[in-house]
Amino acid sequence: MSLMLTKEDLAKYPFLKQSAAYIESMQLNLSDLAAGDYSGILHKALSRIRDCIDKTVRPTDLSDPDSEILSYPLSLALVYGSKSNWLLNRFATIEAKRVEEELRREPGDKILEVAKSGFSWEIEHANLKLEYEDLPFSIPVQSYLEAAASFNDAHWKLVNRYVKGGRVFLNSGSLARLVSEGFKAKIIRRSSERDLQNFRLPQVLAPHLDEILRYAQDNMQFVEELPQGLVSDARPPCIVAIMEDVRAGKSLSHMARFALTTFMVNVGESVDEVLKIFGNVADFDEGKAKYQIEHIAGKIGSRTKYSPPKCDVLRSFGLCVGMDEYCRSVKHPLSYYRKRLKSMGAPGGKTGARDRKKGV
Amino acid sequence: MHEIVRKEFSKYYSGLAAEDLAVPDMQQREFAFLQFGGEVMIRHMKFLEPKTLKDYIVENTPAHIYHSSAYYKTPEAADMNEKGWNGADLVFDVDSDHIRTECKVRHDVWHCMECGQEGAGFPPESCPRCRMKKIDTRAWICEDCLEAAKKEVIKIIDEYLVPDFGVADSDFEVFFSGHRGYHIHVRSEALRMLSGDGRREIADYVRGIGLDIRSHGFREIKKEVLIGPDMKDGGWRGRIARAVYEFVNRASLEDLKKVVAPGVAKSLFDNKERFLKNIESDPPYWGGLKGYTQESLEKIALASIKDLICNIDERVTIDSKRLIRCPNSLHGKSGLRTLRVDYSGIDSFDPLKEAVAFRHGSIRIYVKEAPRVRIGDEELGPLKDRTLEVPLALGLYLICRGAAEPR
Repeated sequence: MSLMLTKEDLAKYPFLKQSAAYIESMQLNLSDLAAGDYSGILHKALSRIRDCIDKTVRPTDLSDPDSEILSYPLSLALVYGSKSNWLLNRFATIEAKRVEEELRREPGDKILEVAKSGFSWEIEHANLKLEYEDLPFSIPVQSYLEAAASFNDAHWKLVNRYVKGGRVFLNSGSLARLVSEGFKAKIIRRSSERDLQNFRLPQVLAPHLDEILRYAQDNMQFVEELPQGLVSDARPPCIVAIMEDVRAGKSLSHMARFALTTFMVNVGESVDEVLKIFGNVADFDEGKAKYQIEHIAGKIGSRTKYSPPKCDVLRSFGLCVGMDEYCRSVKHPLSYYRKRLKSMGAPGGKTGARDRKKGV
Repeated sequence: MHEIVRKEFSKYYSGLAAEDLAVPDMQQREFAFLQFGGEVMIRHMKFLEPKTLKDYIVENTPAHIYHSSAYYKTPEAADMNEKGWNGADLVFDVDSDHIRTECKVRHDVWHCMECGQEGAGFPPESCPRCRMKKIDTRAWICEDCLEAAKKEVIKIIDEYLVPDFGVADSDFEVFFSGHRGYHIHVRSEALRMLSGDGRREIADYVRGIGLDIRSHGFREIKKEVLIGPDMKDGGWRGRIARAVYEFVNRASLEDLKKVVAPGVAKSLFDNKERFLKNIESDPPYWGGLKGYTQESLEKIALASIKDLICNIDERVTIDSKRLIRCPNSLHGKSGLRTLRVDYSGIDSFDPLKEAVAFRHGSIRIYVKEAPRVRIGDEELGPLKDRTLEVPLALGLYLICRGAAEPR
């Protein structure tokens, strides 16, 4: 190892191998940490979670690295123990943001060290100097695609990256982002592993968990229910384009048909309404279409309601007709729809029924 | 399908050495078969060695034989979730059907199933008369189509797989599919565990989907002062620089006017030499022309890269559990072999000759209608409503294509 990672680093980056080893060396269990001797650690763990609930990204408190290091597994245990996906996602997101901000203050060598210790990505020094830009790191294509899979912005797409010899070249900022996203994914992925599925929080921690959940309740935003029926003005451009093809009586590709049907079913249109839309299509076969729509709506067959394909998929199949301002911040046609609805005022302001009379 | 085809297929497989049917890591692959006249794929078969695969094929004589691109722990499991996916080859499918070649006017016809409008050549997306998208095609292939497909294969490998993805010569194989095009199987371990999403990114990469020119080094540092990528750069960055250089170098004033505003086109055309010299210089300089902005440069870049975009069936690349044709198996729609192509000799590879499986004998057939066709060294047609004796390979080809019947 070229650089030594300090105790402060272990506190800042709890996903490091060294952090885990350090915690293990303390030979403490969760119940110990809840006991009076360690009240400082419990206190830290609780405020760490409250920060996440509040979406407050605070620099790591390095005044007492030991208790900071130990507060992480304890806060994680509380989050896993809550069995709340909302809390889990919020915790992972804010912790990842904190890590990203810490990393952006570090020199390149430190970022590399952290990335290497935290993940099995085979990152290397690259020292590629381009006009107005240095790309000091490289990562294998497959690792890059795994780590950046959830990124939305165009510049993260592989086609917009510097790719050579099977490696993707990155600047420090991009690597910091990949590491923090990798950390987030680790937290979330770990929660679905079998041993954690059966995880029960020690009884002594239960009151603290209750406290956290009460605190969270005031901040929790539940996914808003969509209004029943299509609100035309909130449709994403891809769906508008497909519907225009339908109106023109053109026959649709399988993917276009699937995208439109899943979209309609998910915004709360009934099977009959969706059937009506397709009535104009060239090769329309009502019996067959009805069966397919019912299947997609989860009314028959496997009983799973299908979601529309995400933007990436629509783009690959040539159904993305270009982004508008809302598209830029979403990666799924339904997120677009929700976002537009929100910007148009409270859902339900426009009712689907009224809208439908306009004809689409 | 006619019994004669099945019989000839059976003879072909009997005469094959078992080793010819070997597939790398075959114990981890699923095998699948489609029988003559069958509609349901026989799936989830596992073979431990080429000999047992051959025995099965000789006994059953399928029309189409496939293996999985994926590696499985339990390839014979009927439930996909229980197979234990353990990575997959990265596959590129180049199909001459999807490439706009000029020869299509000579051998392809389409007709609108809505209004009956007909035409020759590459089918339009929607009917030019009634605008409906229900177009039926009758497509044939010729040497020119397959040559175009071959060029795409070379482009994918030489332009993308080797330089950008670092795929070594020993890590990929090229196959003639036995009908309309080629398959590239990339077996690099470094790409084997890619998810479907990751594979989609690679398909998008070679197709230039989502390409954002601004991500590749173009910057307007002040009005009409532009910096940009170096032709020596890797990946799309260098590719765009080289493409713009080539395009501007070759372009007539008219070509440029099709891409940018007339004033910009004229300025660029008049100062072509200086512009090209600036791009070549170290560091490259991309501006200094009157009226010329980052936007015009983006338009030129997009026009320049058209020929560098690969024509693949992206669904095949994206799929991490694809079934693909087995080497040396026969294609039930042509009677030709799926044949491994030595990539170093691909330029002189003649699929319609080398993939011929039936080299002896002749057959009497009745031809309903066919354009000019060549199989091996034999040429025929165009012809219609004729009964004649032809070499076996050519006869089986026309029968498999549905254009002829044995007599």
